[in-house]
Amino acid sequence: MTALAETELEVIVADKVVDARGAACPGPLLEAKKAMAGVPLGGVVELWSSDPVTKSDVAAWAGKVGHVFLGSREAEGYDRVLIRRAK
Amino acid sequence: MSDREKLVIMVTRGPGDPERATIPFVMAGAALASEVDVVMGFQADAVRLVERGQVDGIEAAGFPPLAKLVADFHDLGGLALVCGPCLKSRGIAADQLVDGAEVVAAGRFVAEITSATNALTY
Repeated sequence: MTALAETELEVIVADKVVDARGAACPGPLLEAKKAMAGVPLGGVVELWSSDPVTKSDVAAWAGKVGHVFLGSREAEGYDRVLIRRAK
Repeated sequence: MSDREKLVIMVTRGPGDPERATIPFVMAGAALASEVDVVMGFQADAVRLVERGQVDGIEAAGFPPLAKLVADFHDLGGLALVCGPCLKSRGIAADQLVDGAEVVAAGRFVAEITSATNALTY
């Protein structure tokens, strides 16, 4: 699932952090889409989600629409999902 | 004509079946977020899902409130088509529907489905 190694993900600084913890499907996905419009091309959105399915959902979504799923990091009770805006 | 993909989602379950009424809107939201055009078709008791106020307070376990999903669908640019005869048999007038809902008959549904990339039925 993780596109980049953990050590590579650790050094990425997100341009925008979106807290979608507690949101049920498709909430996190809609938050990711909304956030993408607010970062420059090549910028990174970090999406926080407590739904464990979000990371695979976002990976599929990013592939579909042309963004880059960088991977996800586990935090306490949630995932930090990183996506790079590619268009 | 748009060269975007189009998904048609036909819904027949109403507020009495919260989960089956909710999941079509979840799919629609995900599709719209994925840059896929979405047409939702409401037939039978599902016409009540686009009657103003009818979905307030409905929340299937594990999903967002139905009213929020319906609002998101509208805000994201989804098209809601509603079966005219189904409205008539239930005594629902067009002006009781949520903003943007369009009353149609079978021919329009057939045209939307046959021109879609894919269609789902709930």
